[in-house]
Amino acid sequence: MDFYEYLVDNAEPLSQEALDHIVVVGISVGIALVLGCALGVLAHRSPRLRPPILAVSATLLTIPSLALFAMFIPLLGLGTPPAVVALVLYALLPIVRNTVVGLGSVDQSVLRAARGMGMGSWRRFLRIELPLAWPVVLTGVRVSTQVVVGIAAIAALVNGPGLGNEIFRGLRSLGSPFALNLVLGGTLGIVVVALLFDAFFIALRRLTTARGIR
Amino acid sequence: MAVDVMAAPVEHSRRRVLRWLGMPLLLAVVGISLYAYVSTQELDTIERRVLNAPGLTDRVIEHLQLAGLSTLVVIAIAVPLGILATRRGARFVAPVVLILGNLGQAIPSLGLITLVVLLAGVGFKSIVFGLVAYSALPILRNTMVGLQQVDQTLVKSARGMGMSAWQTLTRVELPLAVPVILAGVRTALIINIGTATLSTFFGVQALGYVIFQGIQLDRTPVLIVGAVMASGLALLVDYLAGVVEELLTPRGL
Repeated sequence: MDFYEYLVDNAEPLSQEALDHIVVVGISVGIALVLGCALGVLAHRSPRLRPPILAVSATLLTIPSLALFAMFIPLLGLGTPPAVVALVLYALLPIVRNTVVGLGSVDQSVLRAARGMGMGSWRRFLRIELPLAWPVVLTGVRVSTQVVVGIAAIAALVNGPGLGNEIFRGLRSLGSPFALNLVLGGTLGIVVVALLFDAFFIALRRLTTARGIR
Repeated sequence: MAVDVMAAPVEHSRRRVLRWLGMPLLLAVVGISLYAYVSTQELDTIERRVLNAPGLTDRVIEHLQLAGLSTLVVIAIAVPLGILATRRGARFVAPVVLILGNLGQAIPSLGLITLVVLLAGVGFKSIVFGLVAYSALPILRNTMVGLQQVDQTLVKSARGMGMSAWQTLTRVELPLAVPVILAGVRTALIINIGTATLSTFFGVQALGYVIFQGIQLDRTPVLIVGAVMASGLALLVDYLAGVVEELLTPRGL
């Protein structure tokens, strides 16, 4: 059976798995965005906490993905929960780092001007610092997403959702004539998901960047 | 202000000590706790079949062989390619390589290696081949970026002093690009250590074997030993690579 026929015959399960893949990546990156921004703001505000926060998030990215997925099985069992936790941890570093860089690049005189206008620290953060740092933060989110889309394939090994299952099925039937179609379907599907996310972030960047700095 | 000036070097040196000793200490603590944890467990026969000193040593050796060999092959392929792509006359290649490379990044490691194994067969060589394909980009990119950011006036003055193109490359451009290239090598090495855990699905029993046995046999001690050892190995190699990086960087940079 050639690959095209295979795709047509399996359009429904494949798109379901692609959807699962998108959902699990979306949830993980969403959690990582909130957590990473919070850690980034903390690291930006406190020079004392900055080295440990950056070092720990860099260390997380060094840990082999299969090991990180496996480590949460004793606590969370098999399936989606250990996958999401591991993916969130992987997504942290680019978001934290870019939040620190983005906030650090905000012109101090702008902040002083805002203060002179009578803005409190909370409003200064929400209306001045965050919008100015946002494009850099968003670039970090985009990098995280690319990393996580690929690593999510390995989540199938801990019974996680997504297109990794397709690859894993092919892997289990190495040598059979279906193996290539399965692996190719899963792999190319993940590339498509990655490109879709990238297009989404390009659009999001245009929509959410403050008009003054576009 | 005076207090700041006095305090700064102390703070600095303390941070340096922490930077160089922090990771070995952490790994030692993790290693000892892992050993203590396993010693308190009553291992059944299945667990003992995986968790024994000679077996685990073999797993670590296989893992290091896979990652080490593939990193050496990647360096041998990607550094010369990166140099070629930045030579005059071939500069148009650089943006093409970068775009292709960025697209290639979207390919998942598991899928790429499985495809390579499907085409080349199960075994050590195919896995090395897959690892090389997956980790080529960071070194290629960093070699190109490292060479491109060398100040062109330096290159011109080297040529003006009568150095040949080859001498300029080996004595001016490459030494100046070394830090960036080394950063790429370190990234590739860590990618290879991480991805080598997947080799268990393709007939090579590295540390991923221990992890996956733990999952399949539902044996938590096996799983934890595999996961912690694989993580510890990655962190240790990353740490050592950092030390080597520092030592190999030319003085003056």
